[in-house]
Amino acid sequence: MNVDVSVESLSPHVEADLSPVEAVIDSNQEAASSVLVQEAIVESNSDTTAASHQRWQFWQVFSSTFLTIFLAELGDKTQVSTLLLSAEFHNPWVIFAGSALALIATSLLGVLVGRWLASHISPALLDKAAGVIMALISVWLLLEVIQG
Amino acid sequence: MDWHLLGLTFITVFISELGDKSQIAAIALSGNTKSHTGVFFGTAAALLLASFLGVLLGEGTAHLLPARVIKIVAAIGFAVLAARLLFFNEASITNVEEEA
Repeated sequence: MNVDVSVESLSPHVEADLSPVEAVIDSNQEAASSVLVQEAIVESNSDTTAASHQRWQFWQVFSSTFLTIFLAELGDKTQVSTLLLSAEFHNPWVIFAGSALALIATSLLGVLVGRWLASHISPALLDKAAGVIMALISVWLLLEVIQG
Repeated sequence: MDWHLLGLTFITVFISELGDKSQIAAIALSGNTKSHTGVFFGTAAALLLASFLGVLLGEGTAHLLPARVIKIVAAIGFAVLAARLLFFNEASITNVEEEA
């Protein structure tokens, strides 16, 4: 565990990080640094720190991923197609099951591809690429708003 | 169980979702995170909830939030994520170095 960051120097940064909007869109890297500081304050035992660090990191990543994907996906063509299918066939649970399986499969594929990329590309380049992709998704969403 | 309908839905959704922005976002998010399971469960849960809302809407029992407003919020969220990765990336670089 690397908790050698000085708490004093990072505390203002952490407070700035905890505004509601920031919390929602917090990137994983930022989360990691604030996690380190919070744990340096709360805990000193290194074993418990490592375990709770992992747990905290999971929920940080989970919630930020959940929010961004959920917001991006609302009103998207997948949701519209499940809507139309269930309106047509009146069998919502089968439709939901089929759609759920497909969505789990595609997100698993996405994560596996991302993990493969992470092991073959340098972190700095990967951050740049991810940043460009996020910017493109943002433009994509705005175009949908303009066209819709 | 209506297997035909299940298969139809699976194929429709799977194909329309392959290479769609949520999958691309999942790739980008999991590329630079330390919790791949977090990204997977976050993505899957978000998609399931969105599709569940779609099914409810199709049955006419729910009303959706204003989609345009939500998309603008999501666009801003992705733009901030992008800006942080591209322009304010000191923290992540030092973190990576510390981890290594």
